[in-house]
Parts: sequence; structure tokens; C-alpha cells
Amino acid sequence: MKLDAAFKEPPAEINEVAPEAWRRRTRRDLLVFGAGALGVLAAAKSWRNQGWLANNALRFDDDVAEALYSPTRLVPTYTKSQITPLKNNYNGATPGPGYIPAWRLTLDGLSSGLAVSLDIRTLLSRHQIHDQITRFVCVEGWSAIAWWAGLRFEDLLQAYPPVSQAKWARLESSVNLDSFGRPDPYFVSIDLPTARHPQTLLATHFNGKPLTVDHGAPLRLLVPVKLGLKNIKAVTRITYMRDEPKDYWAQRGYSRYDGI
Amino acid sequence: MPQVQNEQISTRTPAPEPRVRVVRKHHVLVRLSHWTNIPLLVGLIVSGISIYWASPVYQHNPDPQTGSVDYLADAGIWICAHLPGARDCASPEWFYNQISLGPYMLAPALRLHWCCAYLLMLNGLVYLAGVLLSGEWRALLPRLTDARGAVKMAAYYVGTPLAILRRKPRIPPRQTTKYNPLQKLAYFSVPIAGFLSVLTGWAIHKPMQLSWLAAIFGGFNAARIWHFWLMWIFVLFVGPHVILVLSDGWDTLRSMITGWSRRESGGQANEA
Repeated sequence: MKLDAAFKEPPAEINEVAPEAWRRRTRRDLLVFGAGALGVLAAAKSWRNQGWLANNALRFDDDVAEALYSPTRLVPTYTKSQITPLKNNYNGATPGPGYIPAWRLTLDGLSSGLAVSLDIRTLLSRHQIHDQITRFVCVEGWSAIAWWAGLRFEDLLQAYPPVSQAKWARLESSVNLDSFGRPDPYFVSIDLPTARHPQTLLATHFNGKPLTVDHGAPLRLLVPVKLGLKNIKAVTRITYMRDEPKDYWAQRGYSRYDGI
Repeated sequence: MPQVQNEQISTRTPAPEPRVRVVRKHHVLVRLSHWTNIPLLVGLIVSGISIYWASPVYQHNPDPQTGSVDYLADAGIWICAHLPGARDCASPEWFYNQISLGPYMLAPALRLHWCCAYLLMLNGLVYLAGVLLSGEWRALLPRLTDARGAVKMAAYYVGTPLAILRRKPRIPPRQTTKYNPLQKLAYFSVPIAGFLSVLTGWAIHKPMQLSWLAAIFGGFNAARIWHFWLMWIFVLFVGPHVILVLSDGWDTLRSMITGWSRRESGGQANEA
């Protein structure tokens, strides 16, 4: 019964106020409301895509994403029967296969102070290949469950350690084209904690076969804890650095961390 | 002595105005969050539909005539075809240009969406604090005994436009509580829809770190569909809500600004 009383709606309590006080209070509240409405309207009119509020909302959201990241939390994996088609979403034109025979992966910013250049055969023979069926999520909203295989980024970091102060990796593809087919190098920033995630691969295989040009032959980044736009295709250079590198889509108004 | 009496009348102050009878209706935090919802929901919807455009959930094969690939764009094309003088504007992009930031606006839309989404979550907490501190939550709680009253109230609302056309007087069902049963249902459901929008939003925003949340809604793709349809609850709520408040009168609208509602002696509780 006591509980009943706690939930019961009490009857409205009628107050009597002097008419003058009532009018004054009403007028005051209406004025405050009007001023607030005008203030919000002014704020909305001054909204800029690159303004203070928009930039800080984006940065705050990136900080939240970084706080949510855990180096040990694995993303869900799927079975082969759950695989869905993955479209070629190259931003511009898809490069022709002519670059593949001469393709090499260059590593820079290593503790040895030297740059290393590796071909695909060396990469495949020196490192263990891991299979993984994970969801690939695009910033546009679509997603695909895809079967990848490749070496762990972590293994490459072990084999060729970066300089000790390095916190970031800049991954670049020199073979990317814009929609008119002109060279348009693509580059992404990846924080090293994400690079070291056990499901972050330098993928060499898709659906059990070597990567096709559509999917970034011969080696692409596969980082399921990030949006698809960080999963750079046909990586040609990895540079480790202390300061956050530039990012192709961050320069075009998207966020920089892109953790999902 | 009539002369003296006359003098007394002329110098007497006018009869004092009767005191105003008022009831406290909405806590200041409830009022603040109520009005803050408007710009936030507008921002979320116009940016959300721009985000939707980038990869519509409801897609079909390209229409050979219009080139449209999604049903929302088709709806726009249909409207253009049936709107007098708008036949020329039929294009897959017309609808998105009317009700969103527009197509090809994904990056700005995401910025606006995150900004409004975080503020909406904050606003939800302000609202919750308001209804809890004031005890107003008790008036919002739907009761099992409300079922009959809800049907009566719905019948009253549906019948009212016809009664106005026929110029017949219409008496609303008697009401002793702050809100009628239908209002309780609506005002209780909309915050829940808001809460679910936030949850589905997180599910599709962080499908990896919060994969359990996406799983609750049936996975990433299903959570996107939930998020899309929850938006329409707000859109569908706003129309009747505004019409009913305006038809109920200035006192009801003012009470959401000042917090107080007038009670004429013997008067009934107000609606909306």
C-alpha cells in the first residue's frame, strides 16, 4: 500500500497569486523564452561545417571512440555461410594491374634508421597467415561480411620495430587514382595501439584467393575496428612517426580516428 | 447626509482584482529540455536523412526512367508528379534536397549528427532530472485502468473535426488527472523512443566495441532499420501534438514556457 501511494498522482495544488505578480512573472518568462529562441536561431544560422562546434563535436566523438577501444576486445567473427558480397569501393578509378609486378612495400621510421623494401613473396613466406571473417563497415552505412587472410600488422611491427617514440603509422598507396584516372595517392593515419590489435591484418587474400586489383592487390590494410575508409588498398609505404600523420578523409571533413 | 456619501465613493480605490488561481505544471528542467528538443531533433533528422542518402536501407534496382535506386527518392518523385507546378523538379535528389542537408553532404551531416546526438543525450538527462525532482513522473505514468479512457479520448479526438463542421457542441471526456490517458501514453512513449534511438544510434556507430548492443537489436543491419523507423515516431508525434496544443489554447502553450497554468474557479484540468 505504501508503494501504491508512492506511485499515485497527487491532486493539483491550487495557488492564489496577486494578478500583478502573475503578469510580471509571465512577462519575464516569455521574454527569457524569446531571448533563448533567438539565441538558438542565431547559433543555428552561424553553424559552419568547419566551425568551432562542429570541429569539437567531431573531436569529442573521436575521443569517445578511442576511450571505447580495447586492445584485447575482439570483433565478432562469422562463418563462411554468413559471407555477403563486398563491392569495389575505390574512391576514384580502379588502377590497372600494371603496378603489381614492380610492387614493393617500403617501411620507414624504423628503429634501425634504415628503410626496408619488401616484395610480396618475402612477406608471405616470413610471416604466419591468419584467416578471419569479419564485418567491414563503411562510413556510408553499408557493410559486408568478408573472408580475409593475411599477416598480422603486429607481426610486421615485431619483425621491423619502429623508432621508440613512434605512436602512429602513416600508410600510403601511390597507385590510387582519382575518378578521372589521374594519380591521387591515398593515405591514412593509424594509431599504433590499433595497428597492434590481433585482428588488424595486412591482408593478402580475399575469399581464399590472392587479392584482386579491385580489393587492393597485393596487400591492403584490414582493420575491422575502424571504418572502411581506413582499410587502405594496395599499400606501398608504411611510415612510423611520433606525431599524428595526415589522413585523406580527415582532410575532407571526416573524423580522424574513425574507431567503430 | 448624501453629500458626504458621494465624496466617499469618489475617493475610494477601485475594487481589488481577484487573485489569480494557478497550478504548477512543468518543472523548469522539463520546460528547458522540451524546447531544446526542437532544434536538436531538426538537426538530427536533416543530417540523418543526408546520412541515409549515402546508403539507403530501402534500395531497389535502378529505375530505367528516373535513375532512382531507393524508395525514399521514389516518394519524392511521386510527390513532384502530383504536386501542381512541381512536375519539372522530379529527380532522385529532390526529396533529399527538401528534407535533409542534401545529397553529397555526408561529412557535414555526420558532424551535425554527432553534435546534436551528444546534446540530445544530455538533454534526456536534463528531462529525467526534471520529472524526477518535481515528481511529475507520476502524472506521466500510464495506468492499467487507463485503457477505457484512452479509447474514449481517441473517439473524442476523431469525432471533433466532424462536430466542428456540423457546428455541434462537443464536451471532452471528464478528466481529473493532469494528462488524459492518451496523453500519458504519448508522453511516456516518446522519451522511450528517444532512449531507443540513442541505443540504436550507438549500436550502429560503434558496432565493434559495442557489438553486444547491435546484437540486442538483431545485428548491425537491423539496428540501422530500427534507427530509421524510430525517427518516424518523432515525426508522426509532432503533428498531432502541435495541433492539439494549439487547439487547446494559449494557457496550455504558455504553461510549457512559464511552468504555470491558470485555473478558473471550478475549472477543469487542461489538455495537451
